[in-house]
Amino acid sequence: MCEVFLIWHTISNQKGNHDEMFKLNFKIILRSIWKNKVSSIINVVGLAIGLAACLMLLLYVMYELNFDKQSKDSENVHVVMTNVLDDKGKIFVTFNGSTTAFAPVIKREIPEVKYISRMDYGNTGLIANGINGFKKKSKFAEPDILKMYDYKFIHGDPKTALKDPRSVILTESTAKTLFGSTDVLNKTVKYQEKENLTVTAVIKDLPENSSNRFDYLMPWSLYEILDEGARDLNWSNFSFVTLVTLRPDANLDLVNKKIYEAIKRNNREVSQPNFLFPLSKMHLYGKFEEGKSVGGDIEQIWLFTALAIGILLIACINFMNMATAKSEKRAKEVGIKKTIGANRRSLIMQFLAESMVLTLISVIIAIALIEAFMPIFNNLLNIKMSIPYFNSYIWLGLLSVILLTGLIAGSYPAFYLSSFNPTQSLKRNVEGRSFFSLSLRKLLVIGQFCFTIILIISTLVIYKQIQFIKNKPVGFDVNALVEMPQDGQLNEKFELLKTRLLKSGAVTNMYQSSVNLSHHGSNFTGIEWRGMPNPENKVLFNRVGTTYDYISTNGIKLISGRDFNKKYASDSSAILVSASAVKVMGLKKPVGEIVKMFDSNCTIIGVFDDYVWDSPYQSNNPMIVYFNKGGTGAITMRLNENNNLQQNIETITSITKEINPAYPVEIKFMNSIYAEKLTKEKTLGLLSNLFGGLAIFISCLGLFGLLSYSAEQRTKEFGIRKVLGASVVSLMQLLSLSFVKMILVATVLAAPIAYYVMLKWLDNFEFHTTISWWIIALAALGTISITLLTVSYKAYRTAKSNPINALKYE
Amino acid sequence: MIELKNIEKYYANKGVKSYILRHVTTSIKQGEFVSIMGPSGAGKSTLLNILGMLEEPTYGQYEFMGEDVVSLNERKRIELYRNHIGFVFQAYHLIDEMTVAENIEAPLLYKKVPGSERKSRVADILDRFNMVAKSDLFPNQLSGGQQQLVGIARALVAQPSIILADEPTGNLQSTQALQIMDLFKKLNEEEGITIVQVTHSEVNAAYGSRILHLLDGVIKEDVVVQQTV
Repeated sequence: MCEVFLIWHTISNQKGNHDEMFKLNFKIILRSIWKNKVSSIINVVGLAIGLAACLMLLLYVMYELNFDKQSKDSENVHVVMTNVLDDKGKIFVTFNGSTTAFAPVIKREIPEVKYISRMDYGNTGLIANGINGFKKKSKFAEPDILKMYDYKFIHGDPKTALKDPRSVILTESTAKTLFGSTDVLNKTVKYQEKENLTVTAVIKDLPENSSNRFDYLMPWSLYEILDEGARDLNWSNFSFVTLVTLRPDANLDLVNKKIYEAIKRNNREVSQPNFLFPLSKMHLYGKFEEGKSVGGDIEQIWLFTALAIGILLIACINFMNMATAKSEKRAKEVGIKKTIGANRRSLIMQFLAESMVLTLISVIIAIALIEAFMPIFNNLLNIKMSIPYFNSYIWLGLLSVILLTGLIAGSYPAFYLSSFNPTQSLKRNVEGRSFFSLSLRKLLVIGQFCFTIILIISTLVIYKQIQFIKNKPVGFDVNALVEMPQDGQLNEKFELLKTRLLKSGAVTNMYQSSVNLSHHGSNFTGIEWRGMPNPENKVLFNRVGTTYDYISTNGIKLISGRDFNKKYASDSSAILVSASAVKVMGLKKPVGEIVKMFDSNCTIIGVFDDYVWDSPYQSNNPMIVYFNKGGTGAITMRLNENNNLQQNIETITSITKEINPAYPVEIKFMNSIYAEKLTKEKTLGLLSNLFGGLAIFISCLGLFGLLSYSAEQRTKEFGIRKVLGASVVSLMQLLSLSFVKMILVATVLAAPIAYYVMLKWLDNFEFHTTISWWIIALAALGTISITLLTVSYKAYRTAKSNPINALKYE
Repeated sequence: MIELKNIEKYYANKGVKSYILRHVTTSIKQGEFVSIMGPSGAGKSTLLNILGMLEEPTYGQYEFMGEDVVSLNERKRIELYRNHIGFVFQAYHLIDEMTVAENIEAPLLYKKVPGSERKSRVADILDRFNMVAKSDLFPNQLSGGQQQLVGIARALVAQPSIILADEPTGNLQSTQALQIMDLFKKLNEEEGITIVQVTHSEVNAAYGSRILHLLDGVIKEDVVVQQTV
């Protein structure tokens, strides 16, 4: 009994001792942080920025990785994919469209299918409360969708919400836009000016990172009433999306086999095989080759992850370097502590605790930085992210980042310094080892700048590529060209609109077309011409339907022939073809040739030059512009440049509103439409610019710290040199030269890596720029000059100081 | 307490041995106050470092309290530091980030002395050294003599059986130096602590009971001091 007590007493005493030790160490850590303000600030600021950048990127990575994973059952939700075969039976494209007949058959015949829902691709349609109409994202879907996604219902019942064809589910923000409140059950809204729908439910807004977003959801049964294509149960129209939830125990490969069999049974002439693909993978692994997923945006996610880790490493390197630089001073401390009875373990713990405390401070600052810059970042990437404070994984992740960073950053003093022999360290006899630490430090600095220079070169190449595409002529004058969607009354009253606008003088010319100028129309292969090389055409052509004044409005260069003209009645069966179409067809004298398209004969009346549409980075399909009064969708206008721009727009708006009062007028400038095509690359450029800049900043911060220590250590040497007659400039050179050398080595290492990586990136584009040598030279020069700026101030101060101050010490 | 037999220390450089200590054989008994003297480069500090196990002799035998310590592992050596040896340095070597009281307390923390006892021992020693008022100051707020007092207090607080002092008054003014030497003498006489100091000063050496004269690494003279007081 007595013994037990004694043991307990010892244990509790020891524990108490540990606590005391911890408390004392903690106090000392805070004191030494305060005392070494400069190095602490460099450490903390560098690490905080590094952490903030790293966490921001990781949040973005998480946002992307969580795409379509919000609902409980998301891992079992699949999207039906279709492989399109060429005439040799090879898969040449895979896409997520499916037919109307697919879902009923699969639901009936495959027991693993739990829920299935057909949907449209989603559209932008007018929804109105009385006369207040808004264009919002619409979606049609079967009721099973409410079981696949666990939408949060504010009002209404998920069991009955999509039962009646004339019902609609609104999201919270749509309800608020329309009615100013969410309590709107059983109220009536008008869809596309025609259908009166009853609000059956209001749900919370959908998460941004979902591929099936909508502002209002309507039942598939309504779609069947409104749309002929949806009503017709067939195996040939792939204009729909089908989502399938499988039972959790289902084997996907087996189900896909069964689907193949089932389709075969029901549709003898099966042309395009379908299969299920996990919806949650669509976003990042949506690139298919020969029917197999071969990655996709996930590559960009890995890139961002690498960037995040790289930036954090740069900041950690600063931390380690500062620690190695301080090692002389710390070595003395190690020596003293060892002679008064400290063992290695307690010293390791102390050094690690010290870096953990600094890391913790940095994390707090980093979180503040993220909060401050999140809106800008969101704006930049056009997403909506926030720090999920209530997610336990985040805290776990953050904790591991702190521990890991603290460990990496504090490992050098902890494990290396603590091994010092007390006499060596007390006698300042560490030169023998400083060779190692110095070269390690150099290595780390070179690594830092290597990464930085790679980022700079990448940024420059991305900008050069953007500039290259921007300067590539689009093929017509984009200025003064505007377009608007052809909604509602504008379809039937187009001629009226045209007459009134031309009369008003706001526009000089205008036309309607099935798609807008910068976008592709429908692709097709059903075309025949004289002297075809094969009996059946296999080249995908693109066609756009329009009426008069197509060329005269958009100003695309006419190579031969003429535009559609009212003078010629036969123009209703005439076509214009692009230069590339002429090339594909191999026609010597295209104008006047007769082409058979969709079982009707059309005469070529003109050839226009190829222009940029769809992606500016690649050449396009051959294009055919055909005359079609029903081909409505977009109105393109050339503004009268003699008038004030603002005035023109106002005139157009008021006249359009008058003719088509239910719809908002959405006029878009063609030059901004073309500029938007570069958005993705611009964002990439901006990101690499931003993070490259941060990397430079953090690296230079570290360099400044290193130089300060190196200057401090060499005060005596400098004092002696000055007494012997060294000039300020020569001393500055002495201090800075080694750093400049390191940057040069880093450039030599970074250039080939960056060159290779950017060459691969540029390969993604058919039209791309080249990587010139001056980019690498510019990156190197830029980095060196920034480095010199960083070091020269400190070097100057050191070199300028009075030698007596330096020599007084010993 | 200390038995040295044939201690040698040399550095071999390109086949040439440069000796620092040669054939050092001596013994120091419990309760002695020994001063090691000699000109610069005679090997005084090296001898003291070997006594303190901070350096290993190239050759020879060293027994500390009956135990062979020439190739002692680090863990056992730290045990000896915690329980038997107190160091006093010429440059004081206090920890800058710790207050006076914390500096003194540090060895007790490493020795795992319970909190209450620790507090009372620190308070005790501060009282004895008349430094209670300075207990919350940092080393750089003290004069050299005061810093060395803290250094000695830190060496004493763990109640060592021997204090090894490397020129303890080398950086001090003469009045402060006398004060420190008085303290050493008192500790030696009243508490029976063995003291070994390295010194240049005849005056300081006179405080001890025995002087080892070192010349070129060899003990030239080993004299007992005639107490004149």
